[in-house]
This record gives sequence, structure tokens and C-alpha cells, in this order.
Amino acid sequence: MALFKRVENAIDASIGRRRLGYIALSLITLYFLWFPNDASQSDYYKTVFISGFFYAIMASSWALLAGIAGQFSFGHMAFMGIGAYVAGLIARDGILVAALGIQVGPDYISAVGAILIGTIVAGLVGLVIGWLLLRLRSAYLALFTIAFSELFRIMMLTEYDYTGGSNGLSLRQLLEIADVGVARQVEYYLMFFLLIVCLLAMYWVANSPIGLFLRAMREDEDAASALGVNVVRYKIAIFVFTSMIVGLAGAIFYSDVGSERIIPEQLEVLQMSLIIAYAVIGGMESLIGAAAGAFICRYMLEAMRKVVIGLPFGMTTADGSTEFVWEPGAWRYALFGVVTVFTLRWMRNGLLYPFITWFSGRDIAMKETVSIRADDEAAPDALEGGSA
Amino acid sequence: MNRKALSLSLIALMALLALFPLGIAQADEDCEFADYTITLGGLAPMSAPGAVAGGVAMDWAFAQAAADINAACGVEIDGAHYQLEVITGDSEGSPERGQAVAERLILEDEVDGMVGVYHSAVGLATMGVMEENGIPTIFSEPWNDNVSANGIREFDGAAPRFDDGIDHIFRISPTSSMVGSVVTDWLIALGVQDVILIVENTDYGQPAAADEQARLEAAGVTVSQIDIELGTEDFVPILSRIQARAMPPDAIRIVVTGETSFNLTQQMAELGIAPTPETICVTNQIAFQHVQYWATVPDGNYCAFNRVGIIPSLFNELAVELNTGYEEAFGDIVPSFGMASYDAVWMMKDAMERAGSYSDAAAIVAAIEASDITLTQGRYYFDYGAHNPDLPEGTPAYMWHQWPDPIVTVMQYFEQGQSSLEAAVVYPEVYQTHGSAYIAPGTSP
Repeated sequence: MALFKRVENAIDASIGRRRLGYIALSLITLYFLWFPNDASQSDYYKTVFISGFFYAIMASSWALLAGIAGQFSFGHMAFMGIGAYVAGLIARDGILVAALGIQVGPDYISAVGAILIGTIVAGLVGLVIGWLLLRLRSAYLALFTIAFSELFRIMMLTEYDYTGGSNGLSLRQLLEIADVGVARQVEYYLMFFLLIVCLLAMYWVANSPIGLFLRAMREDEDAASALGVNVVRYKIAIFVFTSMIVGLAGAIFYSDVGSERIIPEQLEVLQMSLIIAYAVIGGMESLIGAAAGAFICRYMLEAMRKVVIGLPFGMTTADGSTEFVWEPGAWRYALFGVVTVFTLRWMRNGLLYPFITWFSGRDIAMKETVSIRADDEAAPDALEGGSA
Repeated sequence: MNRKALSLSLIALMALLALFPLGIAQADEDCEFADYTITLGGLAPMSAPGAVAGGVAMDWAFAQAAADINAACGVEIDGAHYQLEVITGDSEGSPERGQAVAERLILEDEVDGMVGVYHSAVGLATMGVMEENGIPTIFSEPWNDNVSANGIREFDGAAPRFDDGIDHIFRISPTSSMVGSVVTDWLIALGVQDVILIVENTDYGQPAAADEQARLEAAGVTVSQIDIELGTEDFVPILSRIQARAMPPDAIRIVVTGETSFNLTQQMAELGIAPTPETICVTNQIAFQHVQYWATVPDGNYCAFNRVGIIPSLFNELAVELNTGYEEAFGDIVPSFGMASYDAVWMMKDAMERAGSYSDAAAIVAAIEASDITLTQGRYYFDYGAHNPDLPEGTPAYMWHQWPDPIVTVMQYFEQGQSSLEAAVVYPEVYQTHGSAYIAPGTSP
């Protein structure tokens, strides 16, 4: 502990924690940029990383909505599904708005166009839902979004003639690259840059005056309203913004970038609860924390299917192998549940939160605040004692 | 118990566990195996949202097949015996996870072939992964027609899935169209004119009913449909509408699953609507679970039901053996996808032996196309593939790389409390067990 304190003091005195944090973040980014060029890694790991990036967008956008803005929504997967399904259906069938006399055949709609339309429709549905329900508070919002999610999922299931039902809907391929290896590399970078862009956009919102209003609303909606914050408008705005982000992510991911088809089961409340758990484990008040939590969880859930440990010093197992193979695959979701319970009980700000606060130097500010509060609390006693 | 006794118990338990591998290895002692172990990837849903019960049965069947093959000296290629292992990958019933786990099995575990798959969505999504990597694959459960239809170059529903002239995907489960046609073909053969479909309002019920309605109407049968919600317990209002008709229908077909199906069948029988001499009762394949059926539908004698998979009275020696093992493990009759998964592993072994290679995908695919082997579900062969690429006009596209004979039958109870093992197979004629296409209520075959 003393050694850690000494190292901490040395860092504070020299480079500074925040700068060290930026360096660490840059190194991690460089690693992700370099990773697809590592010839020793198979395409499988790129697939896992692509999936990790997608869930990182899902978890961090939920963290913005729930952790920062305080709007506890279960509708995230449904909005992701709206983006993906709309993109898929428009690319397949085109657009027909009879009332306006608009008809565009599928041949005139590119995969990119379909994705953009899917994103806009996700935002528009978010706007309508937000306008309807964000006047409601706390549990009502959660209940409404669960109902909306289920409604959308059942619609996708029962309108099987149009959506493919439980066989799923295959979206138009976004990248038509013949070479499988090159295609995977491009898909990897596409999803990684999408994550970076989404994080930057969300970070900008969270640190703008809007972010301050959102935090104020989260802490005390009435007080924020009394101070002039248009609570409903900002709630709707953040709801639409996150709906568009997940709609975009879903439409891109299921355009054969991460997966070849979307199925209604992907929109189940169970899948939504996984997103929430990723954000909780990473830290739901931190965008980076939630994104990192989701990525690590997705990676670990895949890695735990089969663990191979190379034995040291020429050791062998009973069958003469130099590797010990452990297959905790069947238990991986149970272990994941244990981690979630542990986090909720003992580290409510997430497992990564201590690292993030340390690197950002926020823990110093927090300690100072706590010590000032302690001094303030002690002061009246001292004054009282002094005056006695 | 004191600490010493506890420690001793633990040591004893560990010693017992350590002895287990010796027992398993015993069966292989007579064979001299080559260093290389042939591995197959088995895709099955082992966690939610997939159908876990199905995945567990498939996983058991993979392991059983590998154990039986190894006990018979493994896979013999050019005089060398190779042990065979099936690595089960959990698809979670999700196309996205299915694709990832298929890649893991192919690229990390370097499997030589793939078997299994339960959900059609996973099958459709993973086909591309297998094709890209040139892995011979035998699907044992997905029903979607396109799983096999997509292999044909001319198929216009999707881009052809192979560019190198080799289609690596085979299927030994029935297609949705095959399953859907058996009940309607039977009813048409019986000459019914007026049928009521009672249908659950789900993605299973609605398309299945639409398919059956189209077939019946094409044969000139009048069809009316009544939709119900799963979980409904009181069907009297719906059934009263049927009772109020001037003429009773010739048949009532229940396209409903689970407990709801049992409740509906019982209430229908109790009210004297069907089965009656005028009206045939056709319920769902879940009626095959006779213990549950008779406990919930005591008045359901003479009801017919469809069944996917070989019927117990037609079990061959291998099927009986597999079923005995399954009953010991799970206390129930082995399901069709368990048998198909078991057979898929054996088919792969057989093809590798005939191809003289475990790694030459083209040779293995050609060997699977030329398969002629009898396993638990019967004789396996493929009519159409690279060996016979021209489908005659009128042959559905899904017959490409499709086993043509998955057994889908109509069975009928004819004694109160009867075991499904003794129920009559009434259709198709080739499988009839009691020489009768329908046993009228109150009669015996």
C-alpha cells in the first residue's frame, strides 16, 4: 500500500494522472488499430472484437440515457431492432408512401441509404415514444419501454410474411468484398470507428451544457425545472439521440458486418438485461466505463467457452498433454451473474470506476470534497465547543 | 462430521473421480489409434434464448456417437484408426452468436467437419461461415426450406452460397414444407370437405396454418380458421361457435403447442365436438408424450397427431440401443433431433472413410453425396447434388443436398391410456402399422 502511495505521488508530481490516462487510452486505441494486422490471430477474434464494439455502443449509449440522464429505459434493443429491421426491409422492398405518391424501388436504395433511413426512423419512433412517455417518471418509463419492446418483438415475430419471423431478416450486405480476410478487416475497422465516433458524440453531449442539464434532471427533476431547465424537451432530445445511435449501430452491425441476420429473439428483455448488466459492471455513470465493461464482458463470455492453460516447466497432464483444458462454457452466464451481483452489492459505480476516477484525478477532488464536508461538519461542534 | 473425516471423504471422492477416465478408456484398449484426433464441431443451443432442452439432447447424441465410434476403433482411413471427438459449441439460438461459435470451432479448434444446428435462423446465418471455410456440414434439425434450397445456383431467393462449385451443406432433418404437408395430405386422402383450423397466434402457428390452409383449399376443401392466444385456459366460447354450426366439420385440426393444446383438446372432447364419428380430431405432435397427454386429456381417445421422426415401432437395432441410452439419461423417448444428431456424426465418419481423408473437403462432400448408409432414422442418401445436379421440373429447390426420407407421420390413439409406442401409424400408407388410414371412434383396427 505504501509502495502504491509512493508511485501515485511520483506520478502526480511528474506526468500527472490525467495525462497518464490519455497515454493509456492512446495505447489501447493503438492496440485496437494494430490488432487486425496481427497475423497470429484468426478471423474468429476479429469477429469477437466486432461484436464487442457493437455491444460497447449499446452499453455506453444506455449509460448516457440511464446513468447520466437518469431515464431508465428498457427500449434500447427495440430501437436497435427498428434501425436494423427498417434498413433490411427498405433495402429489400423499397419505399412506398401511397398518400404522398412516393415510390422508390429497392434497386434505387443502397445499403448505406437503407442504414441512414433505418437510423432516422429509429430516431422518429424515439421522438414519438419520448413525446408520449417522457412526461412520465421513474417506474412508468421502465414499464412503458418494456411493453414497447415486447410489442415490437411480437410484431416482428407474427408478421412473418414480411419480417421472416423467427427465421430472421437478412439485411443487404454493406461491404461487398470478395476476399474474406480483407472483408473481415474492413468490418473490424468500420465497427471500431463507429464506436469511436459514437463515444465522441456522446462524450460531447455529456460534457456540454446539455449534459449539465441532464445531470441536474437526474439528481432532482423538480429543482432543475424550477431553475429553468425545460425538462421534457431535454428528456426527449436525449431519448431521440440515443435511439438514433443504437438504430445506426444495429443497422450497420446486422448488414453482414457483425451478423448476417437479425431475429426477434435478439430484442427480448433478456438481451436488454445483458446490455444493462454490461453497463453496470463497467460503470453506468461513465461512457468509457460502460463501453469497456461491455467489450470485456463480451470477450470474456466468448473466451470462457474453453480455457486452455499452457503448463510451465515441462509439466504435463495425466494424458501427457502440456496444456490444461478447462471448459467453463456451461457456467459462463452463471459466473457473469455472480459478477453482476457482486458489482451491484459492493461496487455500485462499476468495476472499472475506480480506475477511471484515478486516471481522471477525480478521486482527489472527491477526497477533498469529503474532507471539506467532514471539516464543515466538525466545525460547528468546534465553534460550539469554543463558544461554550 | 469432524474435519479429519471430511478430509478423508474428500480424498476418497477425488480418488473415485480419478478412476473414471480409466473405465472410459477401457473400451478403446483394443484399438491402436493414430496420433491425430478427428474433430467435428457440433452446433447446438445450450443457453437462452435458444431451445436449451433440444441443445442438451443434441449434445448428448454427439457425445454418444463419438463414444460408439471410438469403441468401434474410430475412423479408419488408409488403414490408420483415428479417434473422433465432437466439440459442442453453444449457438445460444442466436445467428450472431452462432456465427461466432462456428468461426471459433473452425478457426481455433480446427474442426474437420460440422454437425448439428437446431434453429433455422442459426442454420441460415452459419451456412456462409462453413462455405467460406470449406467445411463439410450436416445439419440435423433446422427446418427452413432455404437451408438446402440456397445451395442451388439458380435459386432466386438469395445469392448462391458457393463460388467454388462445391456446396458443403447437407441436411437430414425434414423441411418445413415436408412437415406441413403430411396432415393435409392425410386429410385430403380421407376425403374431408370441411375443416376447422384452431391456430395459436404465434410465428409457429400462423405460417403453419397458412400453409395447411393453402394446401387444403387447393384440394377443394373448405377451411375456416380460429385464432387463439397461447395460455388461454377456457375455450368454451370458441368451441360453442363450432357447436352452433348447422353441420359439424369433417375435421378439426389443432395448430397449437404445449399445455394450451392439451387443454383445448380435452375441452373439445368433453363437449362432444371431436373426436366423434362425424368429426376427426387432429392435434399436435406434443400428444406423443403419452403420460402427459392422458393425464391432461383423459377424453382424448381416437385423436390423431403428427409426429416428426421415426416411430418407435419402426426402431431398428441401432435406434433401440440409442433410445435405451437416452431413456436412462433423460427418462423419455429419444427425440428426432437427437437421433439425427447421432446419425450426422456417423455419416461424417462414413464419408471420411470412403473419401480416404478427413481434410479433403471436396472428397468428403462427394462422399456424403454418395452416402448409402442405414442408421437410427433409416437409410440415408441424397438424390440431388453435384453428382446429380438437375432437379426435374416440379421438384422443390429444397431437395438439393436434402435427405428425401425424413419420417413425418400421422399417428392415432385407439385405446384409452395407450402408450404412444403402441399408437397406430395411419399415414403415410408405407408406414401404416395397423392397416388402416383412420380408426373411427368406437372401433378397433
